[in-house]
Amino acid sequence: MARSSTKVGRDLSSLTGRGLSFLSFVLGLALWEVLVDVLEIPRFLFPPPSQVFQIYFTGDIRWLDHTLVTLRSAVTGCAIGVAFGFLLAVLITVSEMLSRIVMPYVVALQVLPKVAIAPILYVMLGFTNTSRVILIVILTFFPIVINVSTGLSSVDRNLVYLLNSLGAGNVRVFYKVRLPNSLPYFFDGLRIAVSGALVGAIVAEFVSSNEGLGFLILNSQYTFNTTAAFGAFVILTILGLALYGGVVFLGRRLMPWYERV
Amino acid sequence: MTSARVVVMEGVGKRYPTAKGEDVDAVADVSFEVRRGETLAIVGPSGCGKSTLLRLIAGVDSPTEGTIERERSDGRFVVGYVFQESSLMQWRTVYDNIKLPLEVVKDGGSTDNVDDLIRMIGMKGFENSYPIELSGGMQRRVSLARAFVHGPSIVLMDEPFTGVDELTKEALQHELGTMIRDLGATAMLVTHDIEEAVFLSHRILIMSPRPGSIVAEVPVDLPPVRDPSMRTSIDFFATAKAVREKLLEMHVGNVRPSE
Repeated sequence: MARSSTKVGRDLSSLTGRGLSFLSFVLGLALWEVLVDVLEIPRFLFPPPSQVFQIYFTGDIRWLDHTLVTLRSAVTGCAIGVAFGFLLAVLITVSEMLSRIVMPYVVALQVLPKVAIAPILYVMLGFTNTSRVILIVILTFFPIVINVSTGLSSVDRNLVYLLNSLGAGNVRVFYKVRLPNSLPYFFDGLRIAVSGALVGAIVAEFVSSNEGLGFLILNSQYTFNTTAAFGAFVILTILGLALYGGVVFLGRRLMPWYERV
Repeated sequence: MTSARVVVMEGVGKRYPTAKGEDVDAVADVSFEVRRGETLAIVGPSGCGKSTLLRLIAGVDSPTEGTIERERSDGRFVVGYVFQESSLMQWRTVYDNIKLPLEVVKDGGSTDNVDDLIRMIGMKGFENSYPIELSGGMQRRVSLARAFVHGPSIVLMDEPFTGVDELTKEALQHELGTMIRDLGATAMLVTHDIEEAVFLSHRILIMSPRPGSIVAEVPVDLPPVRDPSMRTSIDFFATAKAVREKLLEMHVGNVRPSE
């Protein structure tokens, strides 16, 4: 009885909590709209929400095309990065020797701010779509390697003893214990990776592109079209939320057994 | 009780290399036997090499000295394992956790055993629950069932109820004792809990630390059917007292009857 009443209490407070967040967001937008006028900020420098909203309907910018270009390279790069990351994580978990050989490079590249290499990537590989995807692969690769290899190795030793005592070798321990154990770690890594994929896509388009949301933002700098840049920000935010939310949703679907924090 | 022996250890020693380069004897010159149908308890302070003995019997580790003979009933020797923690697979349901040994051992038995054990541990209706949805006591019950499902030659229990509150522990010990008896299982229990050893076993071996070796044996002369009321009987106290005295003779000091 006491328990159910606290649960109801928790639901209520979480509802008001969510309502409060929504209210804060709406009020923030309204305040922005008003302050731009009250403080007489030039609209072309800092456009109010209403003006940003209109930019989608002027027909001057092919929003859908640009969005798809950015999304496509983000998703492609992320998929390749995740696949390679997973493969390397498995290899360094299986072979101690390989781990010793590869880890110095992984650590060194991990601490390097990877967007720093973007300009040089184009020198080496040319201003191609491939160069853009490679930058995203590099950005998404590391969180997967680090997280999955942690998940594959930090298993309950007792489970390994148990399987060994029943006659199971390393291969069966791997797919019965290590692989499922790494799943929550994989999804943690994937959440970081999809955010990184968007960063990579935008930076890649800053450096070299004539399409995509990154190009649009850079172009609006040259043309003093801040409103268009804000339009791109809004789309990027929605993309980021969708990708992140998609990963969280998928994680919950695939791991009903996992304690959510 | 027949006198057939399931495990015979002869002069077994296990030496581990340490980081400093010196070798350390975890256990040395250990000899004992486990007879079919009995529950043998080994009591000793923490860190005396009790868990090492279980790993040696399970074949997860091999001895550096001596021999271990294992009786192969039906041509096989398989162990059941109960750990200090419940050590369930978080990603598996109750049913699939219990079924695990059947997937690994050849001819482990029918999945009917899984249903029987779920009934035995009183968890009908929880087959499809995941470990995070269960209480600590329920998780322990699942890990007990997992240790028996494949009809093991011997069930090895490593301080099985560590960290469980006193009353739940007594209930679980009673259920475990009943399970061992009903299934006619052979079991070996290592623990630092004197009352647990007396309640569950037929014989108690006392182990000294560094290096671990057997220093005494205390018979447990209690009726085969153990029920909780026995915990306050004179025979129970007398046996516990005998074990305690043997332990104190080793001057290890920090031995407590229970936690």
